[in-house]
Amino acid sequence: MGMQGDFYQLLKEQGYKLGSSGQVGTGHALTNATTILAFKYRDGVLVAGDRRATAGNMVMYDRTDKVLEIDRHSVMAIAGVPATAYEMVRVLEHSFKYYRRTQLQELSFDGKLRAVSKLLKENVPAALAGTGAVVPVFAGYDMEQGSAKIYFYDILGAEFEAVEYAVSGSGSPTIRGILHYLNTWGEQPLSALPEEQAMVQALRLLTSAAEFDSATGGVNREASLYPVIKLITGAGVQTVPDATLKPLYESQVVRYV
Amino acid sequence: MYEEPYRWVEAVGNRRQYLDEQFKQGSPVVALSYDGGILLTTVSKGTPKLYEIYDRLALGGMGHPTDLEKLRFSLLEMAHVEGFNRSPSDVTGSRLVKYGIAPVIKQAFEEVYKAPFIVRILVAELGQKPEKDALLTINYDGTFEETTGRAVLAATQVVQTKMMSYLKEQQPVPPSLEQALDLALRAWAIGSLAHQQDEADQQAEAKPQTSNAGSSAAAIPSSDTLIAHVRSIAGERTIECAVLERQAPGTSKYRSLKPADLSRLLPKAFQSAVAN
Repeated sequence: MGMQGDFYQLLKEQGYKLGSSGQVGTGHALTNATTILAFKYRDGVLVAGDRRATAGNMVMYDRTDKVLEIDRHSVMAIAGVPATAYEMVRVLEHSFKYYRRTQLQELSFDGKLRAVSKLLKENVPAALAGTGAVVPVFAGYDMEQGSAKIYFYDILGAEFEAVEYAVSGSGSPTIRGILHYLNTWGEQPLSALPEEQAMVQALRLLTSAAEFDSATGGVNREASLYPVIKLITGAGVQTVPDATLKPLYESQVVRYV
Repeated sequence: MYEEPYRWVEAVGNRRQYLDEQFKQGSPVVALSYDGGILLTTVSKGTPKLYEIYDRLALGGMGHPTDLEKLRFSLLEMAHVEGFNRSPSDVTGSRLVKYGIAPVIKQAFEEVYKAPFIVRILVAELGQKPEKDALLTINYDGTFEETTGRAVLAATQVVQTKMMSYLKEQQPVPPSLEQALDLALRAWAIGSLAHQQDEADQQAEAKPQTSNAGSSAAAIPSSDTLIAHVRSIAGERTIECAVLERQAPGTSKYRSLKPADLSRLLPKAFQSAVAN
């Protein structure tokens, strides 16, 4: 029934199946080696992620992009099994486009959230089997309400709205505490930070996560490797170029003793 | 009774006549390359006639709104499934048309006991490079043509040729968006006036009159007449414009021009024709 603008339904009718379904309960410990974070700042929402992909104690890749743009006003940051996560992003990207083009209107922000949790629910068997757990953070700008929003999920698809910030991945326990401290007793709450300060905080937070979590990649200046930082405002999603991050990192993150 | 070959040929002939009749009231569609991409223009009444199909594909149509919707959905479905299963750059206009909807339209046209699609379709494709831009038109019988630079949909072949030759004559290479818009609206007015003329001629033929001077093949009306025509019709209809912009940010290159864009881009003569 293409008339309803449901792309995922269309795919399923054609025999598509998301991920592999494993046997429930056969899984081993879930790994989600990464650090992603999102917080609201003055102009919208900032989403950032480190760039390391690991397999056990091996570093597989140091240039992963875990903060993925889904459409002009929404971003999904992924922690968990990359294969499933990228596939979900692809499904979402096409679903939102398909809805907009068939129905001649944007899918509402709530509709987008629902689509994310539907995919996660479909993925439960694989998540429990340990082959496809994904724990995303979904952030975007709700054009109807004119406000930035952040949601985080568990592997079963439950959806939680984050008031100020959300984190996910193996490095997240470290920075969750820092975010709480900053937001409560910092000079100003996160939501009042201007753009540049917000980026500095994101760099500091990811550097802290990398300090205590081996599966989180920090900044590697020799390889000019910086985290991915995206800013979402009413004007859309904007990726911060490395050229902007480099001077910020050097002047406000590095401490020379 | 259609089993006899002769009857079948006759039935298809009747069908052509019937379909030709359906487009008489239709509004022409003009597609034109400009320096930043492709422009599609028409003047619509009630239902829109220009749509986004995929990242780099746009659709313009003439005919019955429901038939157009049906085909629009099958194009959207094919494009998105292909774009998901393979990649967005594998979704090309010519594949969608040649292997996708043209055969469907042809089959519906030739199955004489079923209803045909009352549509003429134009698919515009923005290539990665300007040389790769393509414009495809499909007739109600499933025949398609691929061109570059300019393409039109109109009620009859004669009117189409007239509009095309006007565009060919006038089109600077490559025009700016403003120039293209001006030109497209003029070409639209030529087509629309020719449709009116055809109809008037047909009514005149019924009465015993000999003069056939004002047929659609006649000379191109003056610039003032064209502008006056667009103005006169714009009150009850809407000028509809969409562009595929090569430089647009993101993957979706389609954008429909809002009244505010139009009033900025349209030449002065047409300004008053923009609906609020």
